[in-house]
Formats: sequence, C-alpha cells, structure tokens
Amino acid sequence: MLNFDWAAGISQETAKMIFFGLYLIIGALVLLLPTEYIYQGIPKEKRSWYHNLKIWSWAVLGILATVYYLF
Amino acid sequence: MLAGIDYFIVIAYIVGMLLLGLYFKKFVNTSEDYFLGGKSLPFWAIGMSIVVSDIGALDFVGVSGQAYRYGVSVGNFDWVGSVPAMLLAAFIFIPYFWRGGMYTIPEYLGRRYNKSVRTIASATWILFFALDLGVLFWASAVLLNVLMGWPIWISILSTAGVVGLYTYFGGITAVIMTDVVQMIIMFVGGFALVFLGLHAVGGWENMVEKISTMGPEYQSHFDIIQPSDTTSPFPWTGILFGLTFVMANAYMIGNQSIVQRCLTAKNEWHAKASMIFGSALKMFIPILVLFPGLMAVVVHPDLADGDQALPMMIKSILPPGLVGLMFAAFFAGLMSSVDSLLNSTATLFTKDIYEPFIKKGASDKHYLKVGQITTLILLIFGVATSPISSDFPGIYVAIQTFMSYFQGPLFAILLLGIFWKRTTQWGGLSALIIGIAFAVFLNVFKEHFFHIEDPFLYISWWSFLVGFVINIVVSLCTKKHSEKELQGLVFNAKIVTENTSI
Repeated sequence: MLNFDWAAGISQETAKMIFFGLYLIIGALVLLLPTEYIYQGIPKEKRSWYHNLKIWSWAVLGILATVYYLF
Repeated sequence: MLAGIDYFIVIAYIVGMLLLGLYFKKFVNTSEDYFLGGKSLPFWAIGMSIVVSDIGALDFVGVSGQAYRYGVSVGNFDWVGSVPAMLLAAFIFIPYFWRGGMYTIPEYLGRRYNKSVRTIASATWILFFALDLGVLFWASAVLLNVLMGWPIWISILSTAGVVGLYTYFGGITAVIMTDVVQMIIMFVGGFALVFLGLHAVGGWENMVEKISTMGPEYQSHFDIIQPSDTTSPFPWTGILFGLTFVMANAYMIGNQSIVQRCLTAKNEWHAKASMIFGSALKMFIPILVLFPGLMAVVVHPDLADGDQALPMMIKSILPPGLVGLMFAAFFAGLMSSVDSLLNSTATLFTKDIYEPFIKKGASDKHYLKVGQITTLILLIFGVATSPISSDFPGIYVAIQTFMSYFQGPLFAILLLGIFWKRTTQWGGLSALIIGIAFAVFLNVFKEHFFHIEDPFLYISWWSFLVGFVINIVVSLCTKKHSEKELQGLVFNAKIVTENTSI
C-alpha cells in the first residue's frame, strides 16, 4: 500500500492525463475567483487588463501543460 | 583553471554585490524595515528573489547530476512541483498572512493553535537553517578554493564578510535586491551554457536521438512521467501525491524564507503577483539545470558520478569570460541561499522566541537591534560549524532529507488550520509531533516499506496523511475554539468576496 501498488496498472499516458486534469481543475478554480479579489490592492481607476491575475495564472498553466505535452 | 578575465568577473561580482547590498542600509530604520522591507517592495523583485533563493549552487550541480542519471523527470520538481503550489499560495495563503500583518509562518500557527506549536515549528526551522548555513559556507569556500586558489579559511571569511555585511545592515531589502541581480547573472550564465552546449551536441533533436540509442537504461530519459513501479526516485505516484500535493505546498506555503519575501510586498496585489511571477520564472529553471545534465550524457557518457556532469560541461564547453560568468552564477546561488537563511532565521528568532519568551513589549529599535545581533551570531555560528561538512560529506543531504520529513505534518496543520474551524490546538500539536515521528520511523525502516531508491516523496505523503488524520481525530475529541479566537485565522468566503481586512 505504501508503494501505491494499486496504481501499477495505470499507464504513463493515463497518468499524464491525470496531470492535465489537475491543471484544468486549478485553472477552473482560478476563474471562479471574484474579479474584485484579483485586483485587490490596485485602485479602481488604475486597473488594467494586465493587472488581471487570472490571465497570469492561465498563461503559467498553459506553459506548464505545453511542457507536459512535449515530454 | 580560470583565465584573467574570469578572475575579474568573479571579483567584480563579489564587490558589486557588497556595494549594492550596503546601499540599502539607508532604508532600514525600524524592525518592519529590517524584516519586511517596510512592506514596500514590487512583485517583480520578490518573484525573482523567490526563484534565486530556491535554486542554490548545490542544486545546480545536484539537479544536473540527477538529469544525467534519470533524465527529464527530475524537471517535475520545478514544473508541477511549483506552479500549482504557488497559485494556491498566491490566492489563498499569502493574502491571509499579508493582511494579518504577520512576520513568520509560526506566528500564524501560534495564533491559530497555541504557543507550543509556534515554538516547535520555529525552533525546527531555526535549527535546520542554522545548520544549513555552515554547509553553505563550506560549499562556497570549496568553490573559491578551487577557482581562485584562496585558502579555505580565507574563502569562508570572505563569503561570510560580504553576505554578512549587507544582510546585517540592509535586512531583507538588501537580500531581495541583491537576489534580483543574482538571478539575472544565473540566467545569463545558465542560458549561455545551454546555448553553447546544444551547439556542441548538434542540436536538440540530435541529442535526443543519440541518447535514445545509448541503451535500454536511456529509453525513458525523455519521459517526464515515470511508471509507478520504476526504481528511480520519481514515479508519477510520488510526483503527484508526495511532491504536488504535499512537499511543493509545504515549501511554498510553509517555508519562512519564501513566504517572508511575499510579506514585503507593497500591497496585496503585489504579494499575490510575486508568487505567480515567480512560478513563471521557475519554469525556466529546469532548462538551466537539467539540460546541461542531458547534454553531458552525449559529451561525457562515461562519468562515474552524475554530479560531475555540470562541472565537466563548463570545463569543456565554455570559453574564457563565460567561465567566470558561470562561476559568478554559482556563487550567486550560494550567496542568495546564505543571505536568505541569515535574514529568515533572525526573523524567526526575534519574532517567535525572543519577543514572546525573553523580552515582551520592548521598543521597536530594541527588536531591530536584536535582529541585527542575531544575524551576526548566526554568521559566527555558520563560520564555526562549516568544517563539519568536511568531516561529514553527507550532511547536506541529511539536513535536506530531514527537512522533508518535517514538511508533510507542517502542511497538514497549516491546511486544516486555515480551512477547518473545528481544528483545535491539541489536534495541531499532536499532528505535528506524531507526524514527524512517523516520518522518522518510515525513514529508519525504509528498506522494509518501500521498493524505490530514495522514497522521500512517499514518506512526505504518508507523514502528511498521518498528521492530517491525527489532527482531525484529536480535534474532534478536544474542546473547540470560540468564534472570537478564530477571527481572521480561518478561511472565510468573505475574504474573496468583500474588501475586508483581517
């Protein structure tokens, strides 16, 4: 049990899909965050699209998924 | 080994760091300036600092060595081992700590659980950070001894002198701003090696083809996902459960030297952005540290020790000038690790030990002085204990391994502490103690329980799980905290829907 023997039958391709699934879940959770919370700290009149941390997060997750797709 | 221009680059780098660090002395007037940079720093500087503190010179050599032996799967540590955890930290934990005006992670644990949990967590970090200091001083001395021919003790004293001076006077602002320059040097030196290395092996595709035809042991060298029954230390089950779910989170959320940087941010947006920016930079780290190891498989296929991969690549690939830059990058990695340890340990001692137990209610200037004196004492301790590394060469690995056993239970109490109101002080305390004891037990008898080479990922997961369950069971059996006691310490949907401060 300590060695995760139950996972021995799972192929590497399926395991990779589990990782992709994880990135998608994280991305979806980030999208659920209220916009006000994302901009907290930036005065309303100074807010711009590049302050949107949801875009930052999706960009980072996108690069991460690409790396796992390539390898 | 170094040419004239290389000597010049290394010495110019050392002197430059000293002057830059000392420049920030003028910004230190209060203890908040010293420990939290006056809460004035921008996200880009903090993000760069997180990355450079995380990757030291010893990791440069070690990760390249592992890439030489096991292939790209070691890259998981900087890819999936960073991004999810840094996003969780950015959006959930860091805003809590930042709004709460906290200085240390144990301070949160103390408020959420009790003084004992705070003291155990803080004392453990202080012990490991202090021991690490001596190891790092020795490593930098060996580096300077080999490169510049300086005697070991002169090398140790010069490293301690340079890093100690700017950390003592400039506090965390000096630490972070020197880290920015150190990261740029690391990236320039590292990418130069990768670029020239790729040229030497005939390009990426040629390298992949050559390695893939070198024998059955290289068949999975380019598979980032390793099967769960692999004998290498990185099966996908360990990467997912041990690394992604536990160790990465414990490191990014529970490590004082990482979190303290985010607490220096000028506002909450910068605190969150620093983590996400850091996670973007972290994805380049495997290119710098992993690719040279892979290239060495082609250029130097018969190395007895994988850790020789990076030094051999530097020696055989880089021209004069770039060799100096690469060694400046090594030195940058060491210096950034040392200055982080010094400042974080001084913060932990002042805030979690000195202030609550030795002298409560003193003036701010007093605590600033205590922080500076602690930095000085740590410096002396680090120098005095550095020869231990010479007598016990495995001490660095031993310290890191033991640290990893502390992380599972620590993350269990942080996670339940912030997300479950019913968690009690006794639940947290038992989880921490029993979880650490269980990790030690698994490590001692690892040959009986595990069939992979070094099961630290599995041990982290199981010790986390034991800590998690113990925390729940003991909490349910003990008196719960009142709403008033938990105010601002437990996750509440209001934090993300209302503009409220804790």
